[in-house]
Amino acid sequence: MKRLTALTLAFAATLAALPAFAQDTLAKIKEKGVLTVGVKNDYKPWGFLDPSGKIVGLEIDLAQEVASKIGVKLEMVPVIAANRIEFLRQGRIDMILATLGDTAERRKQIGMIEPNYYAGATNVLAPKSAGLKKWEDLKGRKVCAVQGAYYNRRVSQVYAPELVVFPSVPDGLNALQGNNCVAFLFDDTLIVSTLSGGDPKWANYEMPLTSEDPQLWAIGVRLDDLDGAFGKLLKEMSADWHKSGKLLALETKWGIKQSPYLIETNRKLKGGA
Amino acid sequence: MRTAATDLPVLKPFRAPPIAPSGLAAPALLGAGLVAGVAIVFAASLAVAQATGPAMRDGAVTILLRWLPLIFQGFLFNLLISVLSMALGTAVGVLFGIGQVSPSAALRQPAWAATQFFRNAPWLVLLFYAMFLLPFEISLGPVAIAFPAWVKAIIGLALPVAANVSEIVRGGIRSIPSGQWESAEALAFSRRQTMWMIILPQAVKRMLPPWMNLYAILTMATTLISVVGIQDGLTVTRAALVAESRPELMLPMYLLLLLMFFAYCYPIARLTMALERRFHVKG
Repeated sequence: MKRLTALTLAFAATLAALPAFAQDTLAKIKEKGVLTVGVKNDYKPWGFLDPSGKIVGLEIDLAQEVASKIGVKLEMVPVIAANRIEFLRQGRIDMILATLGDTAERRKQIGMIEPNYYAGATNVLAPKSAGLKKWEDLKGRKVCAVQGAYYNRRVSQVYAPELVVFPSVPDGLNALQGNNCVAFLFDDTLIVSTLSGGDPKWANYEMPLTSEDPQLWAIGVRLDDLDGAFGKLLKEMSADWHKSGKLLALETKWGIKQSPYLIETNRKLKGGA
Repeated sequence: MRTAATDLPVLKPFRAPPIAPSGLAAPALLGAGLVAGVAIVFAASLAVAQATGPAMRDGAVTILLRWLPLIFQGFLFNLLISVLSMALGTAVGVLFGIGQVSPSAALRQPAWAATQFFRNAPWLVLLFYAMFLLPFEISLGPVAIAFPAWVKAIIGLALPVAANVSEIVRGGIRSIPSGQWESAEALAFSRRQTMWMIILPQAVKRMLPPWMNLYAILTMATTLISVVGIQDGLTVTRAALVAESRPELMLPMYLLLLLMFFAYCYPIARLTMALERRFHVKG
């Protein structure tokens, strides 16, 4: 009998463990005194490690802003593309600030905070000697890419290059330098930052194509938070970041070339005010 | 020993001939060569990185030293995971292994089936199942017990370990001559007594080397957890590479981690070989 009770209890516990977030997230965060944010720690300069083991970067600065605004401590959970949405829905994290592309497919699962805090587009980094002129030149040639990047699928479907996928950016860049592929598929602002970094290694490389497929990045929250107090706060903050030029300043701070999307949104919001 | 005095050959004490007399020196030399080889490759890759890196920035050695503490911490986390999943896997595996030699079919068959299933499933796939099927939190009424990712990883890695331990235990028990069982029965030992007091103590010696082998394999396999997003040594190494944006550091950085694992696992392998020699019984 005792065993049966225990079994029933265990079963009930498993049921209870299923997501149940009727409670307001903002109130819950304040009650806990901690804001838990899913961040990247392998995507420089948005989120990366410093030698002391701390995670730093542009997105971390934004997360810290949110935590300070609510008046709680910031806890960062390193996430990868494969687990961030699951973590959010389970309640392991309160929000995602991890190079999350704002796609229609994802909008069915989680809430995306607007205005989006960043937009990137797709381009390639290639040696000048490769002589690439247009995207179609990539057809059938080896192109290095990074695992889990949203643009991989579209590029391989539209231009049919032979994608060689690496687990992280340095592995891919290393392969490019070793002439294992003709180009490296990447976010255009990051390519610009790499090329303008002054490293002689990249002196003979260029970004030869027209950037394509602009992709907005967004802070992700649970669907029922999107119109709740927490979502509202984030939307206000995000608009404010654009308007005050905070995002542009952060780009400069982290050595990213000011992106057209941010410049334009800044102008638009300022004009409206 | 009185028996030695007799000239009847039958009563002379049995002395096993030494096994592989040169066995001790040769692997030791080979081992030293191996260590030297790895060190040379490491030094060479470091030198290349140092030479090809941009002159105005930090040298490869400086950068490696800067990240060493963090990578080592990550490596220690791998070891912690390996020890805990080995402990869990061994506890479960021993039960399964004994179950596999049980006279009761109701015990034997499930134990056999579970062993076969988990032994022949890819480790990474089992790890994925553990990560995504277990809840992240179990709430018992008002108390919520957190179920962090690393605990799930331990469970995920313990599954194949348990199945392999189960086979090691079954094999160890089976390797004890049936005469032992028969004489124990003749001396009115119960089955349980025979198992715990006579068979297992002898079998443990034979199980130890393969068990240690399994542990070394598990330790190296713990880097799999980096795939499911846990911050282990490999994840940290990769993050360090991203932070430095220096592709030429890739080889030395990964080799640094590799050396840590090698320095830990190689002595285990040597000890296993030594134990195997010591416990070797001539069939």
